[in-house]
Amino acid sequence: MTTTLETDVVVVGGGVTGVAVLRDLALRGVHAILVERFDLGTGTSGRWHGLLHSGARYAVRDQESARECIEENTTLRRIAPHTIEDIGGLFVLLPPDDEAYAAQFVEGCRASGIPTEELSTAAAHRREPLLAPDVRLAFAVPDGGIDSWALLRSMAADVEARGCQVLVRHPIVGVERTGDRITAVRVHDAVAGQDRTIGCQWVVNAAGAWAGDVGRMAGVPLTMIAGKGVMVVMASRYVRGVVNACRKPADGDIIVPQHEVAILGTTSEQVSSADDISVPPADVDRMIDMCAQMVPAIASGRVLRAFAGSRPLYKPEAPAGGGAGGDTREVSRTFTVLDHASRDGLDNMFSIVGGKLTTCRQMAEAVVDRLAERMGVTEPCRTATEVLPGADHGHHQVAAPLARVERDQAYGELICECELVTRGQVREAVASGLTELEDLRRKVRLGYGPCQAAFCAWRAAGMLAEGSEEGDPVAGLERFLEERWRGQQSTIWGDQARQALLNHAIYRGIFDLRGDGVPDEAAAVSPEEGA
Amino acid sequence: MRADVVVVGAGPAGLATATRLAEAGRQVLLLARGNGFTHWGAGSVDVLGRVGGEPVERPLEALDRLPEGHPYHLIGQAAVRDGLDWFSRFTAAAGLAHRGDLERNRGQVTAFGTLRPTCLVQEPAAGELSGRVAVVNFAGFRDFSSALCAQRLRRAGIDATPASAPLPAWDHDRYFTGVELARAIDDAGFRRRLAPGLARAAAGADVAVVPAVLGVGRGHEPWADLQSLVGTPLVEAAIAPPSIPGLRLFAAYRARLEQLGVRWQFGFPAVGVERDGDRVTAVRSEGASRVLATRCQELVLATGGVAGNGIEANRDGTLTERVAGLPVDGFGDRLGFLGTRFLGDQPLAAAGVRVDGELRPMDASGAPLLANVRCVGGLLAGHDPTVEGSREGVALATAARVAALLTATPAR
Repeated sequence: MTTTLETDVVVVGGGVTGVAVLRDLALRGVHAILVERFDLGTGTSGRWHGLLHSGARYAVRDQESARECIEENTTLRRIAPHTIEDIGGLFVLLPPDDEAYAAQFVEGCRASGIPTEELSTAAAHRREPLLAPDVRLAFAVPDGGIDSWALLRSMAADVEARGCQVLVRHPIVGVERTGDRITAVRVHDAVAGQDRTIGCQWVVNAAGAWAGDVGRMAGVPLTMIAGKGVMVVMASRYVRGVVNACRKPADGDIIVPQHEVAILGTTSEQVSSADDISVPPADVDRMIDMCAQMVPAIASGRVLRAFAGSRPLYKPEAPAGGGAGGDTREVSRTFTVLDHASRDGLDNMFSIVGGKLTTCRQMAEAVVDRLAERMGVTEPCRTATEVLPGADHGHHQVAAPLARVERDQAYGELICECELVTRGQVREAVASGLTELEDLRRKVRLGYGPCQAAFCAWRAAGMLAEGSEEGDPVAGLERFLEERWRGQQSTIWGDQARQALLNHAIYRGIFDLRGDGVPDEAAAVSPEEGA
Repeated sequence: MRADVVVVGAGPAGLATATRLAEAGRQVLLLARGNGFTHWGAGSVDVLGRVGGEPVERPLEALDRLPEGHPYHLIGQAAVRDGLDWFSRFTAAAGLAHRGDLERNRGQVTAFGTLRPTCLVQEPAAGELSGRVAVVNFAGFRDFSSALCAQRLRRAGIDATPASAPLPAWDHDRYFTGVELARAIDDAGFRRRLAPGLARAAAGADVAVVPAVLGVGRGHEPWADLQSLVGTPLVEAAIAPPSIPGLRLFAAYRARLEQLGVRWQFGFPAVGVERDGDRVTAVRSEGASRVLATRCQELVLATGGVAGNGIEANRDGTLTERVAGLPVDGFGDRLGFLGTRFLGDQPLAAAGVRVDGELRPMDASGAPLLANVRCVGGLLAGHDPTVEGSREGVALATAARVAALLTATPAR
């Protein structure tokens, strides 16, 4: 059975770019529907380090990206402060690093409009007490931390209030073309188990690293380079703000504190498929060893998990063979709008490729400007000035969850002590229709902490059982546990090995769960991560 | 300092070993980094719950189906019997009677409504789930869900219904743990106030399943008393750590060791040994301000496997035994530590020290490495205590074997 929807624009891809495109359209009064194959933020937007770039990282080699970053950094702080931790960043020069690079760095930042301030090493250590004692130079920049899921939720809420639609778990299965025009997009409603056809005038391909797949369905050639980046999650923050190595970008040169953890990044490797998110242990080791040069305590710290994401890199002429294995840092981090009418003779589709989370709003503005011109829509872009819902309480404070628990005196309501998740939060999420622990995880941050769901997951499963007689919360719990397990295997040694075996002794030993409800394939394939 | 025997580790194996040696007149020093699997287990005595993933009905008969090199093969059935007999006598005398026997496993009800195969359980967990079963939680106790437990029990064909019992007013209204609730239930007055609500929740049921929190400091008396006040048999379901039945057992061991005059250093881990040829002459342990050496005739390592902190899993895939630096077979790299499925088997859990029939650590050729060192419990190679359900059985049986070996000659 097929149902039919009608809209002006179909946006493909539920990452930050797609949702930003949808919001831009909504604010210009254009009706649009976004389709996403899994949940919002399950591709690259959920698999990254959470750095709100100041642009300083690109100031030496890629000043176009650097300028985009500082502009958007300022804009996002205005429209979405509640998704941002205003923690600042440092670039530090270590003994083996080249002082000449520091001079280029300062000059590059100046030329790109990024405010920097050189700190004395004493001041740098006051700001970051765990910084290596042998740091030679330190520069403060306006880096920050940003929670992409909070940003996505906030943008999606805004969009839906303005009458546009977000369809998650709706993978695109085909494109209907009449001559040079797309007339409809066919999607599969994975929850209802039925296909739907969405008749449309225009299509925006915002599928990021998977944009090539959408291009193929529409019959236009579009080659993306999958640039895999591995990230390591440490069990505590270590640093107050972002810490970067002041050198040519390389593996393991950035530490981003986020919520209760720190994320070490990252590698940059060209792989043959954006779905390759494997994590070789050697990458984990390298990241820890490199980041420990900046913050030595990391060397003996507790590693929670590691994950990889795929950067959506686009190069107009793909390298010969388009093979794998190269360093993708040479590819610009700026973005490109492709009008497939002039490029490929397909009249009514645009693709937005490349870019980065920090510039997602600007990317959306750029593609929607071009689209609006073709559509004859004269409303200007308002996304840079209209603040998002939830923005009225200022920046996100890392201690906010604790403040909330203290205000409500809700200690007895905690079901996750690591992340301070309360029964009330879970109850609310369940009331909003969430039935999978995996979805609860992203919504309320269940199971992210040092114990990796040793206690919270079965408490939440109990709440799901109390909420409904239908469904099988135990099978859901087993799926959740297997999903969490996938991100841990390359990071298990020392304390975390003990934790893993204790968790095993709880779930398999005491509770006698055996994973009967989880097929092997489900344990082997998953799109989702996040720190 | 000086002792006949230093026992390192206060989990199920170390506690039993120290108690048995002291009962035989040996002067024992017990060194422990912290609590062990008394606190982390289900509060039962697992001897052999599963082989090849299938539940075991008759544990003694199933011992033969275990792979070569398993600790049970090294010490034999007699030690298993001896270990459990001693344990049953010891716990009964301590007011912690257990039910069950080695001939046949039983199902221990858990918070998930599963019936985990085990050998002995404490009396409050031993009742049969027949007829109408009320699954009752205490209002506000967050570590048990009667709905979840009842749901699974119904799938197993048990007529289970979830219910909730209010708690009387007490001073933990905002926040309490299972241990705090168990301490409250130790008090007879609290039990009298609790009983009517519990009786209402269990009304019409033939038996009531409750989380295992029915007292912690007074043996099984609070359970028996509450049961008679309520008028319905009460069955404790295993909950997540800390195990309150395990805390009862730990308290019983501690009282017995103190009674026997065993010296006890808790929170001061052993960090090394001093050797003379193939003998350990002293154990070094952390003290308040410096490392202390205790001279000893014999050393028993009951430090546990990786989970128990007796073995460190290193980033490069190697494993290190933490007290005496005994050899432990490692892995090619750390990806070998764990299986691809969390609820599957975990190779790291079975890692341990290989020993001879007298539980002495061996070198690669199979010769004893240290003449006066014995290894017991989870530290031993060749068994996965969680997956097999063999933790307490191996602990008690190897403790029995060591007790027999070290007390063959009269105490000096």
